[in-house]
Amino acid sequence: MNDVYILAAQHISSQTPLCEDWMDAPRLYDDAYVRAIDPDYKRYFAPNTARRLGRILKRALLTSQQVMQTSAVNLPDAVITATGGGCMENTEVFLNALTPEQGELLSPTCFMQSTHNTIGSLIAIETQCKGYNSTYSHKGISFECALLDAFLQLENGEADTVLLGAHDELTSNYFRLLCRTGYLGLSPGSFGGETALALMLSGTPCPQALCRVRGVEICFGMDPQAIRRTLEDFLQRIPCDSGEIDAVMLGVNNREANDRVYADWCPVLFPGQRFLRYKHLFGESYTAPALGCYAAAVCLHRQRIPAHLCSGDAPMGEPRHILLYNCFEHKNHSFILLSSCGK
Amino acid sequence: MNRVFITGAGIISALGVNKTEVLESLRKHRSGIAPLIYLNTLHRGIPAGEVKRSNREMMQMLGMPPEEITTRTSLLGMIAVDEALQQAGLETDAGMRLALVSGTTVGGMDMSEQYYKDFLENDTRNAYIATHDCGACTEMIANRTGMFSMLDTISTACSSAANAIMLGAKLILHQRADAVVAGGCECITRFHLNGFNSFLILDGEACKPFDEHRAGLNLGEGAAYVVLESGESLRRRNREPLCRLSGWGNACDAFHQTASSPRGEGAVLSMTKALASASLSPSEISYVNAHGTGTQNNDLSEGIALERVFGKVPPVSSTKSFTGHTTSAAGGVEAVISLLALQHNFIPVNLNFSSPMKELSFRPSTHDIPAFPLRHILSNSFGFGGNNTSLIFSKAEDS
Repeated sequence: MNDVYILAAQHISSQTPLCEDWMDAPRLYDDAYVRAIDPDYKRYFAPNTARRLGRILKRALLTSQQVMQTSAVNLPDAVITATGGGCMENTEVFLNALTPEQGELLSPTCFMQSTHNTIGSLIAIETQCKGYNSTYSHKGISFECALLDAFLQLENGEADTVLLGAHDELTSNYFRLLCRTGYLGLSPGSFGGETALALMLSGTPCPQALCRVRGVEICFGMDPQAIRRTLEDFLQRIPCDSGEIDAVMLGVNNREANDRVYADWCPVLFPGQRFLRYKHLFGESYTAPALGCYAAAVCLHRQRIPAHLCSGDAPMGEPRHILLYNCFEHKNHSFILLSSCGK
Repeated sequence: MNRVFITGAGIISALGVNKTEVLESLRKHRSGIAPLIYLNTLHRGIPAGEVKRSNREMMQMLGMPPEEITTRTSLLGMIAVDEALQQAGLETDAGMRLALVSGTTVGGMDMSEQYYKDFLENDTRNAYIATHDCGACTEMIANRTGMFSMLDTISTACSSAANAIMLGAKLILHQRADAVVAGGCECITRFHLNGFNSFLILDGEACKPFDEHRAGLNLGEGAAYVVLESGESLRRRNREPLCRLSGWGNACDAFHQTASSPRGEGAVLSMTKALASASLSPSEISYVNAHGTGTQNNDLSEGIALERVFGKVPPVSSTKSFTGHTTSAAGGVEAVISLLALQHNFIPVNLNFSSPMKELSFRPSTHDIPAFPLRHILSNSFGFGGNNTSLIFSKAEDS
């Protein structure tokens, strides 16, 4: 069984896009709703491409192209995409047009660009990648579901390179709707955000990689003992001694309903560990854990953890192993173990 | 050799609410396509493969209180998952790592399109905001049994269920789960009925797959799941398999968001990969359950791909002439139909066929009786964006 390497990563999010400025110059927000900072697409796309594509598609395509460029992988073996909400902007346009149901006035383009796998298909069409293509849409662990599929293919050599994307957009209407359900809302230090992240993964060892993905696990349930057993099995299978883990990155977001489970369970699951957070920088979205994974990967690559990511204790020395724990609505759990490439 | 066995199956579609009813309809050449009556739409009367039950009736079948928050897609899913679990005898097994991998694209859209104005303006329908996304549908199905320790949702449009079955097989082979319930569910919504209509690909009459005069597809709805298990799990539980999932392959046509490439490139790749993973030669395939939507574009592209892969094309049919195109559920519905065909040794016929396509050398099967006993069945499911998946089901003894 082989490790998986993150060769390159590119994001468009609430932080300065397509760079790692957030490490030393993080943008902090007081608003409850923050859209991603779009780069100037005219610099990257032909005018008709930029016009033709909705916002989530432009972000997905650009992050994918950039990650292919930085990793020098011109044709990945597989394209795997995660999106919790899919192409909301076009879905809304179509839903609004549907209300009076005047079939002849409905736009085929909006319908075509409303489907979840429009994203992965666009990437395949633009890159001419005819290999494996799949899309995961499972709430707040959509990214981890996609990563699991990529991991299964890479660890056995079924694929050598996988272009993995995590994309969610938050329109103003969808923000209002998600506030009604209590998923998002006004809490200090918490905001609804957007995710566009592309990772290039490889099964071939690469010393220049950002980090290694040692394992990924998803599970469903509400019994803390069962979750603990899952975690223990996960670490044992890798294998990794919990004492080696430098820090645990959590999906806390300063909202009581979300954070309660971490407060209740973390002392049991991770006794004596230091904790990191990322959603104060990147916001909450179904695929936000992808940005947590990205942030941890950059920390491992640069061999330091900035103080603003730490909950509580001051930053430690050179990190080597970071465990990510995400829990969505108390039921969907995920664990990812990342390790530095050195040693 | 891929050692993934199928020990249970469940289905609900326009052909019936369980395997027995579906089998009888297939054997008697009784199509489920009829004028739309359950969906509240201006397009009432257009032919479609609706499940002939209201939401209320399905809730009664499931013993659910009428006030429970649910969606039509999840109700369909629950009925099919219940049947699959029951056949596999997994109802009471404890301590097993059991995963549910479900494919859907519509998710809770049936409720969202009804209540969208309320979502925006008031708090009366908030519960249905939370049931909108694809993952919510899988969770509602899982919550019914409380048996699943892993959930996963795939959304690749019309290949969703086939991709779910494929992931299920990988989870078994990688020992991530002892058993996986995999498939998909989808109800007809105004959203995608109008979407397909805007592409002008809905046939105003019963669809005619692989016919020279085909005029488009009929939408359908349903859910179907198979229970996948490792050989070790079978031995431990002392169960006999129904058949084997022997091969799978997915590829992307990478041609267009809604059209298939003229030479069926993605379809050739997915079928070739599936045959290779099953270690089978094309001539060993006894029957192909085609994607066969009935559109001009699909049937020509898929037909050419079949000729490219097989040379001499084995018996082929599209059961969408019975069920309509059940979109995200199609890969599951057609997996269970393939399983029934293997078990009962018959070829589900291609209804409404009269004139062969002038571009193709073969015509679809219109006779049930196979010339040789069925051993290996290949099933195609192709989604928007050129997401092409092929699965191969084999007799259990052909191991």
